[in-house]
Amino acid sequence: MYQYNDFDRAFLASRNDQFRDQVQRRIDGSLTEDEFRPLRLMNGLYLQLHAYMLRVAIPYGTLNSAKMRQLGMIAERWDRGYGHFTTRQNIQYNWPKLSEVPDILDALAEVGMHAIQTSGNTIRNVTADHFAGAAADEIADPRPVAELIRQWSTDHPEFQFLPRKFKIGVTGSPNDRAVVKSHDIGLRMIRNDAGEPGFEVLVGGGLGRTPMIAKVVRAFLPRADLLPYLEAIVGVYNLLGRRDNKYKARVKITVHENGIDKIRAMVEEEFLKRKPLFSGVDQEVLGDIEAQFAPPAFKSAPIDAFDAAYAADPVFRDWCDTNLAEHKAPGYAIASISLKKHGATPGDASAEQMRVMADLAEQFGHDELRISHEQNVVLPHIHKSDLPAVHAALKSADLATANIGLISDIIACPGMDYCSLATARAIPVAQEIAERFKALKLEHDIGPLKLKISGCINACGHHHVGHIGILGLDRAGVENYQITLGGNHTEDAVIGERMGPGFAYDEVTDAIERIIRTYLAERSSPAETFLDTYRRIGTAPFKAALYDKETVDA
Amino acid sequence: MPEAALDFSGEAPAAQAARIADLNARYEHHGATAVLERALKDPQAGRLTLVSSFGAESVVLLHLLSMIDRSTPVLFIDTMLLFPETLAYQQELAERLNLRDVRVIRADDIALARQDPDGTLHQFDTDACCDLRKTVPLQRALAGFDGWITGRKRFQGSTRATLEFFETDGPTRIKVNPLAHWAPEDVRAYMDENRLPRHPLVARGYPSIGCAPCTSPVAAGEDPRAGRWRGQDKNECGIHIVDGKVVRRSDPMTDPVSEPTPLAANAPEPVPEPVIVTDTGFASDDWAAKAVLDLGSDTDPAAVDLGSAPGLIRIEFPSFSDGRGFSIARQLRLRGYQGRLRAKGHVIADQYTMARRSGFDEVEISADLATRQPEAQWRFRANWQVHDYQSRLRQG
Repeated sequence: MYQYNDFDRAFLASRNDQFRDQVQRRIDGSLTEDEFRPLRLMNGLYLQLHAYMLRVAIPYGTLNSAKMRQLGMIAERWDRGYGHFTTRQNIQYNWPKLSEVPDILDALAEVGMHAIQTSGNTIRNVTADHFAGAAADEIADPRPVAELIRQWSTDHPEFQFLPRKFKIGVTGSPNDRAVVKSHDIGLRMIRNDAGEPGFEVLVGGGLGRTPMIAKVVRAFLPRADLLPYLEAIVGVYNLLGRRDNKYKARVKITVHENGIDKIRAMVEEEFLKRKPLFSGVDQEVLGDIEAQFAPPAFKSAPIDAFDAAYAADPVFRDWCDTNLAEHKAPGYAIASISLKKHGATPGDASAEQMRVMADLAEQFGHDELRISHEQNVVLPHIHKSDLPAVHAALKSADLATANIGLISDIIACPGMDYCSLATARAIPVAQEIAERFKALKLEHDIGPLKLKISGCINACGHHHVGHIGILGLDRAGVENYQITLGGNHTEDAVIGERMGPGFAYDEVTDAIERIIRTYLAERSSPAETFLDTYRRIGTAPFKAALYDKETVDA
Repeated sequence: MPEAALDFSGEAPAAQAARIADLNARYEHHGATAVLERALKDPQAGRLTLVSSFGAESVVLLHLLSMIDRSTPVLFIDTMLLFPETLAYQQELAERLNLRDVRVIRADDIALARQDPDGTLHQFDTDACCDLRKTVPLQRALAGFDGWITGRKRFQGSTRATLEFFETDGPTRIKVNPLAHWAPEDVRAYMDENRLPRHPLVARGYPSIGCAPCTSPVAAGEDPRAGRWRGQDKNECGIHIVDGKVVRRSDPMTDPVSEPTPLAANAPEPVPEPVIVTDTGFASDDWAAKAVLDLGSDTDPAAVDLGSAPGLIRIEFPSFSDGRGFSIARQLRLRGYQGRLRAKGHVIADQYTMARRSGFDEVEISADLATRQPEAQWRFRANWQVHDYQSRLRQG
């Protein structure tokens, strides 16, 4: 894992000094509220419904135990004892005091963390596959590249006042777990016919009120050209992107209005101009970063204890079947810790839970943790012989919910309970759906299903790319929930299709149950997933179940 | 006779009195939130609006309301004599709390032109001024409602000492006072716990805020409302009427009239215009350039004619949040321009580093900005060559 060097530490210290000074200058009137706002946002500080909110970056979702412990300490000391992990691999604290924020930033800097560019019209925290460096299906670890992008984008002088926010996601696996096609720039690590490493570069993806799937701007970009190419894209966008209308300012609209061919031509021309700025030093830096991401020293040990526990303990077996993913090293597994306990707030973890997860990573997990965009925590390197002990510790910390990838593993935005933009509640809807399917005992029978809920059209809950998406709106003062089906966030990303009129707050869970019962009745076999069934039979049976009374009663 | 509008005839009818008594009995043991939440849906209370001054303590009731139903109409009386801070705070709160239906109430132009053509009425008849600018417009705005919600509390003075949750307001209308039983420490605790933004004047000694001409700061130990109509036998503006009659509390105010403190204190010395900022600090323009090429922020840098090789190119920053100028500068440098490059306009000290790193030599700012952000703040960012990720990734 990347360790901050003297330069990084000095940079952070000076940046925190600047922010302390900016807070003071806001108070003495040197900075107007208008001027202070983007400065506080580019340091991760939002003004929300109840209070300030501090969003801390977890670059490419990678943490060690020291960082996780510090996050827990901050939650305890300066917040209300918990933090909220987000869909962009950040953690949010919902109750910091403005006067204490500089101290929190200093505490983060102690462990090489920060809140820089987690907000504002800047290049945001770079996200990556949360199984990076562990997944069996990986071509290359995307994190060194993501770290290089973090360094390049941090405090980039040209790009701190872009038309709008700008998000970059990287995946090193053909099975996209990083939703790269929904990013302003998506990078897929590939090899060309000659076997040379490089990227497929996509641009103009996004969710929000105008969901767009990113388009390929360069089919193969040699590895060494990455930074000048990114700089060309963002440079073109900075001048071409619209600034007259906030809702038309994202690069997805720039691409849509100008066409990908025109954008490509402009980017390629700009790229040729920018390329000489990079002499190759960046590749040396990348080499140093890569060395720090060398795989840990995996052990080889018998897995008899695992096999025995798996055979004997149905709860453990259930957790293993649901929450483990295949690891590239023999005898190892990737263990996901669900932050979606039925009835709890998706993505929340208490300070104590953070400490437990840190301890487990340190004791059993080569000191690594990940945060997934699905708002769960991952122990990427656990030897199977340690899994029974890990599971037991998780159970005692109320972290052993076995529902990864199932219907109750819901992505939900904070909704109207916390967010000033939201027009409807999201968390209570998620809680009720999770509770319903737990009570029905259908979760495992239903199998893999991505249910995603947003509390307004800004789509922070990724509802467009959920197999089932729920969008909460405000219709004349009443919450109304629209349902989309068939969305998908992976390498063959698709925007879900809207079914029809929305449902009232107290009708949503019933509607979801009708959809699920239709799937269970229509699937060709238990092996056919919801998404496959939907693709095979189309919308009609689901619409009938949702809106046709007779069908429902029959 | 503006007072006529206040003259509700006599005592409330028996039905109204019974309604008030019934409401008070039903809500007797309820807290503020419950009173507000239920009253908004209670048919006996009817259609309610919240009247707020967006003053020192208003945020409490507004926040409670926003948690329950942010589409409830909120009436804000802009007397057109308010502090600018109040107007800004009103906007900020409405946005922060996401209030959906804030209605700004003003006196109508004809009445103003007739009764206070030069805006000096407050100097010789404060009651008439309050009636013209507050009471009458409010009464008109309340016409469509069955009742209104106020933030008044018992502790606020003798006339409010027996305040109930519900009271009559004329023959048919009611007033709802969810915070009637709150003590000053409850208000403070609520604001602290919910991290609610304070009216900026509170910190400057104004615990109760009305119109600018008639509000002055309050010294430690004084009654919080002592700064309202200081030196006059007046403590209520007239919008709060008891049992259909205007009741003006008479607290002896012995302090002399004092002017509100000036808002912009200790202004630094004026700076001559324009100010050129370089790594060494502020300077006047040296006017050394023989020719100046001015470029707007929507310029296509590829189309700029560099052949004429002007001595100075100035790139406009219409707003500090418009970051196009940084990319224009970088692209002109990439095209080989080596002359002087200046960022001109709304560039803030915090952007000095970005400007230098993007290829600018200097920044040109107005005297106003230079006064607000003096030289030291720019020099704090003059060390633009250190802590720079970009140079680490580009140089050998």
